Amino acid sequence: MRLEVRVFGGLEKHIPGARFGQSIEVECPEGTTVAGLVDSLGIPRSQVFTVLVNGCHAAMDAVLQPGDRVSLFPPVGGG
Amino acid sequence: MKELTREQQKRYQRNILLPGVGMEGQTKLLRGGVLVVGTGGLGSPVAYYLAAAGVGRLGLVDADVVDLSNLQRQILHCTGDIGRPKVESARDKLVALNPDVQVEVFPERLSAANAVSLIERYDIVVDCTDNFATRFLLNETCLRLGKPFIYGGVLAFAGQVMTVMPGAGPCLRCIFPHEPDPHVPGCAELGVLGTVPGVIGTIQATEAIKYLLGLGDLLVGRLLTYDALSMTFYEVSIDRDPGCLACGQKAR
Repeated sequence: MRLEVRVFGGLEKHIPGARFGQSIEVECPEGTTVAGLVDSLGIPRSQVFTVLVNGCHAAMDAVLQPGDRVSLFPPVGGG
Repeated sequence: MKELTREQQKRYQRNILLPGVGMEGQTKLLRGGVLVVGTGGLGSPVAYYLAAAGVGRLGLVDADVVDLSNLQRQILHCTGDIGRPKVESARDKLVALNPDVQVEVFPERLSAANAVSLIERYDIVVDCTDNFATRFLLNETCLRLGKPFIYGGVLAFAGQVMTVMPGAGPCLRCIFPHEPDPHVPGCAELGVLGTVPGVIGTIQATEAIKYLLGLGDLLVGRLLTYDALSMTFYEVSIDRDPGCLACGQKAR
């Protein structure tokens, strides 16, 4: 299945060619979870603070569906 | 309505000229109260612009003292302020900029013990803190009191901002249910470009002013993200999480 993935806040450094907020098409087997996607992208899980799937927070064990829009954020917590 | 003095009409002329502001809007700002939690990288532009705009009452909460390493981005503080409480250093600059503004300082950390009594005295809260524990306390207290608050955060070359309007959109916990892993590096390890909190704080101040004026569209349900390297803004639409522990059906 195909997913539309966006990375923010410096996570783009883990994916060659990725740019902040620009969508990347990712091909994954059916049944892939959020954690599985993060692993396959080569991003350390500890650095992903929150995951939004189609604009809603999703847990690491959530199963993704074809066409899902997935956004990955580190903790952008400084002030 | 109390008339603006001649001096105020001149000071705020560029505000008053704006459609939807006028003398009436300026009076709303002068009667408004904003609590700024944190007077560092975000709090500096937030408090400066709110004071300049003529927001009548500003509350500043921060327990820290000014450090040399702050001055690369915390533009309220000067070299001579090193070692002084940040809220006092901030008050000096804000009162010098605009004597119309009543600046109330709280040289303490926001805690469960003082959050309600601090927040209930103001119309809106601006989150200029540097940690998620304090943000969650702000989030939960503002939800309880029905006060809007404006989240801002920065890291390295990136920033994000969203307005939380209790009952009208997602809250901070809808997006960030848990505190981050304490081992994940923050600004102290990764750095932060000084202008990034400048950009994000300026947007937060804009949201607070719009709220007080009742103008325009707020960043409710819209996480606005910013990347200085690619010089890109990207807005992520966020829905309220019905299972949110702070604002959903399961909330206490």
